Amino acid sequence: MNTMKWLLRREFWEHKGGFVWAPLIAAAIMVVLVAGVVGYGVGADKFQGDSVTVRVNGEEVHRTQMSVLATGHTRTEMANVAANNYMAVGAPIFIVLPVVAFFYCLAALYDDRRDRSILFWKSLPISDTTTVLSKLLTALVLAPAITIGIASAAAFVILLLAGIAVSAQGVNLFAPVLSNINLYLSPVYLLAMIPVYVLWALPTAGWLLLVSSWAKSKVFLWAVGVPLIVAVLLKWLDYMLALYGTTINADWIINNVLETMLLGLVPGAWFMDGGTALPVRAQYGADMLSLLGASWGSLARPEAWVGAAGGVAMIVAAIRLRRWRDEG
Amino acid sequence: MNAAISARNLSKKYGKQTAIDGIDFEIPAGRIVGLIGPNGSGKTTTLKAALGLIPFDGELRVMGLDPRTQRDALMQDVCFIADVAILPRWLKVRDAIDFVAGIHPRFDRTRAERYIANTRLKPEMKVKQMSKGMIVQLHLALVMAIDAKLLVLDEPTLGLDILYRKQFYQNLLEDYFDENKTIVITTHQVEEVEHILTDLMFIRDGKIVLAASMDEVGERYVEVMVPADKVNAANALQPIDQRTVFGKSVMLFDGVSRAQLSALGETRNPSVADLFVATMKGTYA
Repeated sequence: MNTMKWLLRREFWEHKGGFVWAPLIAAAIMVVLVAGVVGYGVGADKFQGDSVTVRVNGEEVHRTQMSVLATGHTRTEMANVAANNYMAVGAPIFIVLPVVAFFYCLAALYDDRRDRSILFWKSLPISDTTTVLSKLLTALVLAPAITIGIASAAAFVILLLAGIAVSAQGVNLFAPVLSNINLYLSPVYLLAMIPVYVLWALPTAGWLLLVSSWAKSKVFLWAVGVPLIVAVLLKWLDYMLALYGTTINADWIINNVLETMLLGLVPGAWFMDGGTALPVRAQYGADMLSLLGASWGSLARPEAWVGAAGGVAMIVAAIRLRRWRDEG
Repeated sequence: MNAAISARNLSKKYGKQTAIDGIDFEIPAGRIVGLIGPNGSGKTTTLKAALGLIPFDGELRVMGLDPRTQRDALMQDVCFIADVAILPRWLKVRDAIDFVAGIHPRFDRTRAERYIANTRLKPEMKVKQMSKGMIVQLHLALVMAIDAKLLVLDEPTLGLDILYRKQFYQNLLEDYFDENKTIVITTHQVEEVEHILTDLMFIRDGKIVLAASMDEVGERYVEVMVPADKVNAANALQPIDQRTVFGKSVMLFDGVSRAQLSALGETRNPSVADLFVATMKGTYA
């Protein structure tokens, strides 16, 4: 247990740049942009006055102020939407995660062979199993947790900035938003999706770690090239077989096997290709509770477990290969 | 358990290339063994087999364990430097000490810090900012602070200046070594280690050509300064090597009695380097 703690720390030392600084910089850019827009708007009085204008055929028929529209029930409703959906603005930060995690997994069992430092790690009482598992935990649990933390903080700051913008129009939503329990629960709901993420990401993580452990060089080419070439071959075979009126279902294999081997690290991959339907309430925003429910619901799909089993098998193979790998 | 390492018919092939050719040897516990051989003779391969880093044929026991199947248990008692200057570039001195202290139950932090204090390393320094010699200093400080039963050093002082090399071997003998420990060293700088060795092993083309304690070596091999008039008599005793210094022949004899040889001229114990050169004659022929 103690060994695992230090191995995770070790990964953190080496990959702080990818797992902390990259999402942090993305978050900082977003916050600065929004703050600039809000600051400009408030400073230049852009949010004041006749915000809502109704035109018919280009002719103005009705003008009114936001503050007049947003009263009572509407305000509560707005606050509710904001508190439930504000995490959606953190979405760009979640795009950083799969990219960083992809290259992390590819390098995890390869870089120390290339620079020969594997001989140092192997001179310490650490089993290959513990080493590989520490890398898996880093990619599938630690990295998403850090991303969720940073994205939540960024989304919260942007929500406050939006609150300032709206209050400049005379609508003060701070009290109803800040007292809405979902505001604080949304990050927790996201954290509760990590187990689902782990299961869906296992095939990709397993495949990348396997290549990382096995390849003597050019890990990226092996990891991406092999599935691509297999996809082309399947398509070709399917085309040839079509002449005889039969098929091997190439598209199904490509969508279900090859895609899960390469795209599993994308958060919410289980919603891709309509695999699991997005809950209605989440379609126009990101209602975290319904997303959480649908995500756990995705585990009822057998392919989640078949994929995870395949991922585990590849991780076991990666550990075995690591046993006799030294430099080069 | 009295043998730290014992090998029976140990072989290793890389494709068609034979790196180790069915060797037998035994290294008792509590010794400092020099494993000496020319480049490509199989030293590193032998050590890697013993450390469970590569598969091999034959039988090999290290601290009573099979390095192929019991490596995790083995690494509790064994430490090694497989090659120098291979620490990861992003590692800081402070983190390196924290990490090994956290991982290794036999690591003595104060000892590591004492070794580091004798160098120009600073706690916040990263490996990529260090000179090659400094990386070796850090690596040695970490390894020397681990109270391992078997320490394997493959060319541990490459890239170090002579001041530090001398100090390192002195520390190794006075500070680190005791009768419960076994140390195996390979190096090309034989003259620097010969005074600390208790045993000598010469390896050539994947075969052990000499395995003896330093005492046995001292009894078996004698070097004689032979004046010109006695060269023929000396040649009759079949010296294994011969060179000329200031007009006198210096001959090296294997297993000829010292009394017999002292009649021919002044006798002395050969240096390991001279013995090595004599034994390895024709290696690159």
